[in-house]
Parts: sequence; C-alpha cells; structure tokens
Amino acid sequence: MTGVALEGVRASYGDREVLRGIDLEVLEGELLVVLGPSGSGKTTMLRVIAGLEPVTAGRVRVAGRDVTRARPGRRNVSMVFQSYALFPHLTVLANICFGLEVRNVRGEAGRLRATEAARAAGCADLLDRRPGELSGGERQRVALARALVRQPDAFLLDEPLSNLDAELRVQTRTELKALHARVGATTIHVTHDQTEALVLGDRVAVLRDGLVEQIGTPDEIWSEPATLAVARFVGSPAMNVLTGDGPLRPRSLSGSPDDPVRRGIRADALVLGPVGAPGAVEQVELVGADAYVHVRVGPDRVVVRVPASGRPRPGDQVRVSAADGDWHLFDAGSGVRLRR
Amino acid sequence: MRDDRRDTVQIAAMAAPFVVGLVVLVLLPAGFTVALAFTSYDLVSSPAWAGLGNFADLVDDDIFRTALLNSAVFAAIATPLRLLLALGLALLLHRRATAVGFARTTVMLPTAVPEIAYGLLWLWMFNPIYGPVNRLLTTGGEAGLTVLGRTPPQWLTDPDSARAAIIILSLFTIGEAFFVLLTARQALPRELYELAAVEDATGWDVFRRVTLPMLTPVLLLLLLRDTILSLQLNSCPHWSSPTAGPRRTRPPTCPCSSTATASSTCATATPRPRPW
Repeated sequence: MTGVALEGVRASYGDREVLRGIDLEVLEGELLVVLGPSGSGKTTMLRVIAGLEPVTAGRVRVAGRDVTRARPGRRNVSMVFQSYALFPHLTVLANICFGLEVRNVRGEAGRLRATEAARAAGCADLLDRRPGELSGGERQRVALARALVRQPDAFLLDEPLSNLDAELRVQTRTELKALHARVGATTIHVTHDQTEALVLGDRVAVLRDGLVEQIGTPDEIWSEPATLAVARFVGSPAMNVLTGDGPLRPRSLSGSPDDPVRRGIRADALVLGPVGAPGAVEQVELVGADAYVHVRVGPDRVVVRVPASGRPRPGDQVRVSAADGDWHLFDAGSGVRLRR
Repeated sequence: MRDDRRDTVQIAAMAAPFVVGLVVLVLLPAGFTVALAFTSYDLVSSPAWAGLGNFADLVDDDIFRTALLNSAVFAAIATPLRLLLALGLALLLHRRATAVGFARTTVMLPTAVPEIAYGLLWLWMFNPIYGPVNRLLTTGGEAGLTVLGRTPPQWLTDPDSARAAIIILSLFTIGEAFFVLLTARQALPRELYELAAVEDATGWDVFRRVTLPMLTPVLLLLLLRDTILSLQLNSCPHWSSPTAGPRRTRPPTCPCSSTATASSTCATATPRPRPW
C-alpha cells in the first residue's frame, strides 16, 4: 500500500518554479531518503507534503487520501524541522504533549503516551527540562518524540541531523535507523548528506532542479547511477568524469575526440600500479587512513583513492588503470546512463 | 589578566556617557527634588525646613486627592486597553499583505503628532456642539439626541465623560507599543507556527499556547512602562480639557500649570514632571 504519493506535483515561489513535476511513491512503512544539493527542491517537496506550501499542479496523497487541498493539520503527518522547532517556554513533556493537547487528548492519557514516545526516542529522562537546557542531540530526540507521539500516517524529517556534530550525527543516524525499524512508519527523510542517505534509506530519491533524477535502493544509486548528475553528486570524492580521447578508458571503448560518451570511474575503482595509462601526480590529500591522489592523465585529471601508507608524492610518475566492469558510461548530451 | 583589565576599561569608557547623563540629569535632580519636598521654597529665597508639612498639605488637598484618583483610574483602565489594542493591531498587521505598510503607518502616526496639537485636536473632536464625535453619535437622532433618544456625552464639561474622553484619546497614541510588539512578533520563529499548523492547532490555541507566552516578557515590560507613563500623564488632558469639570480630569503631575497649586511649592507635587 502507498504511504505517500506525489503525482506530477509542481510548486513555485513567485515566478520561480521549484518543483517541476515530481512523481514519487513511498510505500507504507518505507523510509525514503530524498537526497539533493541545496536548491534542488527537497525541502519544498517535504513542505508540500505537509501542506505548508501550496502546489500549482498535481496531487498529494497520504495513506491513500487525496490531501492536495487539505490544510496541514488535516493531513495526519508529523514533521521534524531542521531547527527542531521546540517551544522554548514549554518543558520537554509539554512540547511532546502539544499535538495531543490541541486535539483534546489531555491529562494522564496524554502524559502516558508522551512518556512512551519519549522513551522510544531516548529522551525520557529529560521531560522536566526546557529546550534551552538541552544539547543539540537531546533537542533532536525531543523533536522526534513529539513527532512519534501522535502516531501519524507519515513522518517528514527535514535534515534532522544537520545541526549535530560529526560524532553525534553518526550515532543518531544509527538510532534513527533502529527507531524506524521498531516503529515501521512511513518516513520521508530529507538530506544533502549522501552518506546519511545511503546508510538510512530503504530507497533513495535524488532530486535535482526540482525533478527526481533517480529513485532506487542505495545500492542501485551507488552502483548504477541513472545520470551523470547522480553519479557526480553521490560519492566522495565525486566520480571522475573523462571526455574525449584520453588514454584512460575501458578497453572496449575506442577513443575519439568527437566521442559522444562521458566515461565515469569512481576514485576507489582506479588503481595505481605497474600497468595502465601513464600520469603525473599533481596533488595528494591525506584523509585519515586514505589518501586522494590527483593525477594528470593525458588531457584528464583524475582522483585515485589509495591507502595513506602507500601514497605517492606530488611530481611522481605513476600508471593508472581500472577494470572494465567499473566504468560507467553516459550520453554526453543528455547525461543519461548508457551501459556499464 | 591584562585583557580583563583592558575589557573593564573599555566597558567603563563606553558606559561613561550614559552613567554621567543618568547621574547629572536624573539622579541628582531627583535627589534634589526629594530634599526640597521637605522644605518651603519659592524659588527666590533660600529653602526653609518644613518637615512633613508639604506632605500633610497634600493629603489635605482635595484637588490632589482627586487628581491622584484620576491618575489611578486612568492607569487601571487605559493601560490594559492600550496594551490590548497595540497587541491586537500588531498581530493583525505583522504579516505581509496589501496595504499593510499603510495600515502600520496609520497606527504609528498619532504618536508622532506633537502633544499640544494632539490635545487641541481632541478638544475640537469632543466639542459637544460642533465636534465630529457627537455629530456622529447624534446621526439619525432627533433634536440633538442619539438614535436611542439619549443626550450625547458632554465630553468636556461632565467629569465622568471627560475622564472617558481622556482614556479614548489615549487609545490612539499606541504607536511605540505597537511597533515593539510588531517587531517582537516578527522575530518569533516561523517554524513554531508551521509546527502548530501541522499539529492542527486552532488560531486560539496558537495565540494562547505560542504567541502570548512568547510575547509575555515584552508585554510585561510595556505594561510597566505604560503604567509609569500613565501616572505621569500631563499635557494632553491639560490641553484637551482646560476647563473640564473643574479640575476633575487633572492628574497629580500637572499642578504647576494650574492656579490650584500656585500658592504651594512646585517641589511638593512634581517630583519630576514628564510629558505624556
């Protein structure tokens, strides 16, 4: 059954069209991560589902109901804002109970449900505190508990981890995944962090310029990017994209300056060794146990990931090679994936 | 340690103009005035010790008592009304909308009118014979009576009507409170209201549970400020009701302009007159 569906949804801010015809289906109980760069329309999409922005065309369905024209409170969705939107004058308990109280669920019944939600989100020991007394991670848990308490048809999470430091983000990411596994609610999680998307999502939708560029499992997004834009956006460092008749290419592909094909290869699929295309090391970046080696190969510049212990030095002459199966080929004009 | 000392010097240097102004222009005159209140002083000869005599005179003075009551009634009625009106208008006009800038300016304008002009304007407005207020009230009525057949208020001659008139004229000079509340409302995070909308909170819920509690610190500050200003009310009643119900609308802070206290010392009744 469909949890949330968008059918040809368009939305604009003034003259600027932000969503240009979004078609998306989130299955009931699924965790879909919407990934995209800043300005791609991912937050607008979430706000359209919540009813905080109007659509100029298309339909929005939540749990099978057409809610396109329904006001936010009648869509039965919960939203966790990037800023968490906790009421500073209320205690954690009162914050969690807010949605219940405005629906006339008060007293002991509301308190019990709030405590249960707080326990599920891991903030049961914070109920008497105010948001000003909480850390970023604790606020995030409270916002999650508030979303959980009402048992909505869908959870909408707008970059909920972006305000956390790196360590806490990793920890909270894991907890979020576990929480979704326990609760099993339809969830749409918006982020610009590709690692977060690939780790969390049952499926990932990549948005670009107001359109869904690709939707698939994290594995599909990683190993079979549908377009050049997805290939470049997902992966760190970004996929190397080679053009023209450079020497670094799959054996099956003949070289021609007018070749209408873009050749993509990830940094960890390239190998520095005794065979391959000759190149010169221009720059070496040390990133923990790895090193990113920038190599000039003919007309192209590629990034190769190697173990930090075996990294070359700038100016060294090296040879770069890759297995044929690791190449991704894209149409030079449309950017659409050709074959692997 | 050295940085701390430098910070202290810097803070002291920045605070100095304010502190000097406060001491020279406020604290010293206030102290001097309090001291003079215990003396008999006619501005020409030297002050002579009078003990609590001036205060005893004040307590016995029925004009002072009336004026004190007027001020208390005015503060009790006008202050909450002014604050409610400012809050209501701020909440009404905080969003972007057609002509909202014009509406905000309209709310602000009366506050910018000089007090004498404002007082004289209302003197004309409340004139029982040709003033527009009573003309409006008698529209549709016969023989100078209202539609309900009642005599319209004699704003500037009847003491109770005059008190009401002063409260009414004060309700239009809420520009400062309006501006402060408008700014405070606009500073409240939009996400809180969006969350309330997603949670299906009604307008009343949002006002009661979100807006009002979050504006409370500002409202308390304005309440304190407006109460103080109400108790210092002076020129508008003086100019708009110069003969209103023989001294009945006079607040205790305007005796210097009156013959009522001409024979007594200014210092006894006016600790620090300030315009309203």
